[in-house]
Amino acid sequence: MLKLALAVFRKDLRLALRGAGLVQSMLLGLLLVFLFSLSQKTGETVPGQTAAAIFWLSSAFSQTLVFNMLFSFEEANGARTGLLLSPCPVTGIFLGKAMAGLVLILAAQLLFFPAVIVFLGQSPVGDAAGGAVMLVLGDLGLVALGSLLGALSQGQTARESLLSLLVFPLLAPLLLAAIRVFAALFGDAGENSLSWLQFAAAFDAIFWALSLLLFRFVYTGDD
Amino acid sequence: MTLSLLLVLTGSLGLACGWWLIFMYAPVEAVMGPIQKIFYIHLPLSWWALISFFAVFAASVAFLVKRDSKWDRLAQAAAEVGVLLTTLCLVTGILWGRKSWGVWWTWDPRLSTALVMWFVYMAYLLLNGLAMSPHRRMMVRAVVGIAAFADVPLVFLSARMWRSIHPAVFASEGGGLEPEMKVTAIFCVAVTGLLWLGLVLLRRQQLADQARLDDLLYAARERETEESEPAFRK
Repeated sequence: MLKLALAVFRKDLRLALRGAGLVQSMLLGLLLVFLFSLSQKTGETVPGQTAAAIFWLSSAFSQTLVFNMLFSFEEANGARTGLLLSPCPVTGIFLGKAMAGLVLILAAQLLFFPAVIVFLGQSPVGDAAGGAVMLVLGDLGLVALGSLLGALSQGQTARESLLSLLVFPLLAPLLLAAIRVFAALFGDAGENSLSWLQFAAAFDAIFWALSLLLFRFVYTGDD
Repeated sequence: MTLSLLLVLTGSLGLACGWWLIFMYAPVEAVMGPIQKIFYIHLPLSWWALISFFAVFAASVAFLVKRDSKWDRLAQAAAEVGVLLTTLCLVTGILWGRKSWGVWWTWDPRLSTALVMWFVYMAYLLLNGLAMSPHRRMMVRAVVGIAAFADVPLVFLSARMWRSIHPAVFASEGGGLEPEMKVTAIFCVAVTGLLWLGLVLLRRQQLADQARLDDLLYAARERETEESEPAFRK
């Protein structure tokens, strides 16, 4: 299973870096950060929590684009049927897609973070270790849901909007945790980051377990 | 069919009696005034909405285990009624909140849980429009039904960590309700439950009829093509 996962991971990453999909999702997030800087008046600084919310919303948007792209790879030439016929558990595909998505989202966030600092005038003065842990926990949650539900958008016309409609409300609790911890990172005082980190870990555990269980029902040879 | 109709009728009549209880029997609340009477409508709606979503979850699990489309239809019926109740619950809650908290909306555990559930289950209903094979659509619906309900406690917990001002009427000790108010509230919850069960069963029956008609139509078409092009078939 891990062998299949690694193969899917390598293939998807190579395809993603070749096409324009990654650039598209990075640009959308960057554009969001830039446009949200309109909400600040001249000479005023954006509160840490607002900046954190904008950072995570950009991440969430790029997540839907990334997973739409990852799952569209198999739609050409009936590649999905081929992949499903390989003598490995389907869950390997889930893992491969999730790993590829994790790398791509982290790459996009590598761009968003300095963008938030530049456009929204933030400085990461707070707890850097907590922020780093939150980044990983947040992204793990994003990719679990993206990889589980991204399979829904196979061959759909209105797929981008439907995927985000499903994923965003489900992500709400995780985004709350991530925004609170990043607000502390950007210098908002009085945040209890530890309990939010624990909460995010619990969220990840629940949705990873569910995704590992349920992916095989969503990703099938049916059209 | 008769059972669901009976339930809907008794539920509706009971609800009418409930309205009489709300305005004639239950006393006017001392601090909040008449606006508090929204509570008797709001509380049953929110409870039964949550129960509908639990029914969606349970039916989704049953579908994945048994692979019988009747469970899918039950889940769908419960989701539809649940979204309807949540919508009404949100509207009544917003009206009440404006009067007694002074704001239309606030980031509160119960409020945001209700709203997030509304969003998730609206998206669940939209899955109906997906262009995919009926079997796969049922699978997808079941998976989303399970994931959505797993999210409910998480949303509630996270929003409570954020902040809360919603009154917990039945959970709080001591305070709570006058006996007349309690009777009215419990009566309203019970009759709304009857109406809810009737609606879910009725809707499930409709979906079953629809599936049967589709099957018959398909079979009739098959026969037609077979009759018109027998040589081509063989």
